[in-house]
Amino acid sequence: MIEGRGITKTFHTRGGMLASKTVTALRGVDFAIPRGGAVSFIGESGCGKTTLGRILAGLEPLEGGSLIIDNVDVSALKPKAREPYFRKIQLIHQDPYSALNPTRTIESTLRDPLRLRAAQTGRPESWVNEQTEHLLSLVGLNPGYVLPRYPHQLSGGMRQRVVIARALTVEPEVLVADEAVSMIDVSLRLGILALLRSLRETLGVSVLFITHDVATARYIGSDGELYVLYRGSVVERGAAETVLAGPVHPYTQCLLSAIPVLHGLEKPGPDRLVPNEPLDERKEPPGCLFEPRCPFATAACAQRPPQLGRLGDTIQDHACLYPATRHVVAVPAGHGH
Amino acid sequence: MTITMVKAPAVSISGLTVAYKTDAGELPAVSQVDLELAAGTITGLVGESGSGKSTLALSLLGAVQKPGRVTAGSVVVDGIGDMAKLAGEELRTVRGAKIGYVFQAAQNSLNPLKTVGKQLLDLGKAHKVRDLKGLLRHAKDLLDRMGLNADRVLDAYQHELSGGMRQRVGIMFALVLNAHVLVLDEPTTALDMITQANILQIVRDVHKEQGLTTLVVTHDVGVVAEVAHKIAVMYGGRIVEHGPVTQVLAEPRHPYTRGLIHAIPRLTGDISAAKALPGTPPTLGTIPKQGCVFRERCALRMEVCETVEPPAQRMLDGRTVACHAVKEGAA
Repeated sequence: MIEGRGITKTFHTRGGMLASKTVTALRGVDFAIPRGGAVSFIGESGCGKTTLGRILAGLEPLEGGSLIIDNVDVSALKPKAREPYFRKIQLIHQDPYSALNPTRTIESTLRDPLRLRAAQTGRPESWVNEQTEHLLSLVGLNPGYVLPRYPHQLSGGMRQRVVIARALTVEPEVLVADEAVSMIDVSLRLGILALLRSLRETLGVSVLFITHDVATARYIGSDGELYVLYRGSVVERGAAETVLAGPVHPYTQCLLSAIPVLHGLEKPGPDRLVPNEPLDERKEPPGCLFEPRCPFATAACAQRPPQLGRLGDTIQDHACLYPATRHVVAVPAGHGH
Repeated sequence: MTITMVKAPAVSISGLTVAYKTDAGELPAVSQVDLELAAGTITGLVGESGSGKSTLALSLLGAVQKPGRVTAGSVVVDGIGDMAKLAGEELRTVRGAKIGYVFQAAQNSLNPLKTVGKQLLDLGKAHKVRDLKGLLRHAKDLLDRMGLNADRVLDAYQHELSGGMRQRVGIMFALVLNAHVLVLDEPTTALDMITQANILQIVRDVHKEQGLTTLVVTHDVGVVAEVAHKIAVMYGGRIVEHGPVTQVLAEPRHPYTRGLIHAIPRLTGDISAAKALPGTPPTLGTIPKQGCVFRERCALRMEVCETVEPPAQRMLDGRTVACHAVKEGAA
């Protein structure tokens, strides 16, 4: 079980003389990833989802809040003492082309971390060979074909599978997949998503899935939870199927409304919603961060930030004073309205 | 402003083959392609990596780069002629003035050291535009119509504009010289969903208002579904299916189109109904030299597929499908 409480993160950029500015990436995010579970963070670029993944993987220092890995508050430990905890969380990022060393064969890419692992855990050398083949089979690759090859000799989908196999060499508890299929050919994406889903079942590994492509989040498991991030805050949170079928926060509704409709196969949802204006990151509204763009905002929304909760007896958590279920997602053509 | 009501031209691609020189000889990235872009329509050209879609789009601009070359066929644009035969000054004038092109990653294709306005004047001078004030007015008008503050944008440098704003600036540059053929290569890649929806709306509006013939090149079937009238599906350098978007999506006929549509993650429905296609898309070096290019991944593979390339057949509903297993009347 991995838990985050009140995670905050601010970036300071220096854009020339006097032009330094502060960007708030995360504004107190709480989350929990149960063992073997699936949690997805969705939102647009700049919403903080990638920063959150990097903090979890230990690639970005934690600033505020606490991170609890297997009942230990990692944020209270010295950096050196954190390492074994962060090893349990492995990051798979979007570009399998740059994630692998082009001068090394897949065999050496996998074998080196496994040798280290064998030395750490007192396993024999024979385990390294067995595990190399086992992991490749697990990710759906033919060891005989893949092992002697270099990354450039493999397709994007195969490379991403190698990246996943490498992440598994350290026996992680969580795979953080940040846009892990966005650079993969469309006809192969579902294969990678199905692999993540099956790894949850076979290894009990949990998946934190970070994406702007909302539909893909469903495919790592229908039991998954969905967190909708907007400008560093969670605005809606609940079972993925619940949030997608009946979102209650206007931002979630605008985001889902923007997803292309496959006309011919689908019809637009009846309540499709468009924000009043584009995002202006320079604005720091005192109340709800979405208020300037929200079609339903009232004076009360500009007063103070709404808290994540179940105001209005909704099934899912949300941070809106006026939650209302709207049907914004495309419906199959020939059915519904 | 110079308002000239030019009728949107039709584009007719026939027997087009574009090959690249490699160590293994000259290999075709686009092979024997016939494609009509009817005047005033938006066509979505969809394909995966290595399908040849970008090469095909570049041939519309007569811009296939070495080591590639057009080895056969023609790209005839109404009122211009065969783009594959134009060269030098003639070709340079036609680009921009008649055919506007918004490049892949247009977000990064502006000059970072010059304001948008300065780049506009450079474009005007390069095309020997006499009335630069008129050009400026036209640019402002286009930017206004796309919902931008024109004065602010013309004074801005690339880094001061968001991705969605840069994409609109790219469209302005493509149309400001009064081009009536517009080619957009991956117009929404790297944009957020809400920005993407906004840009697609702009493409539809601009297409209509300016009277264009538009080609949108993308890997994303959803983008085509949102903007295009017709869809052309490319695989291994061939157009395997071409027809009206809603009909093709509702009832794909080519096994690749069918597989591709089934492979799209969807927001509703049974997640186990969606399946990835087996195998991987071919690259330039692995496209089969004879027979059907899709057969390695095809569930309907027959003996004839090994040796005979399926010709594009015209169906009763007006679409074309290139598959031995598809017969008129069969679904």
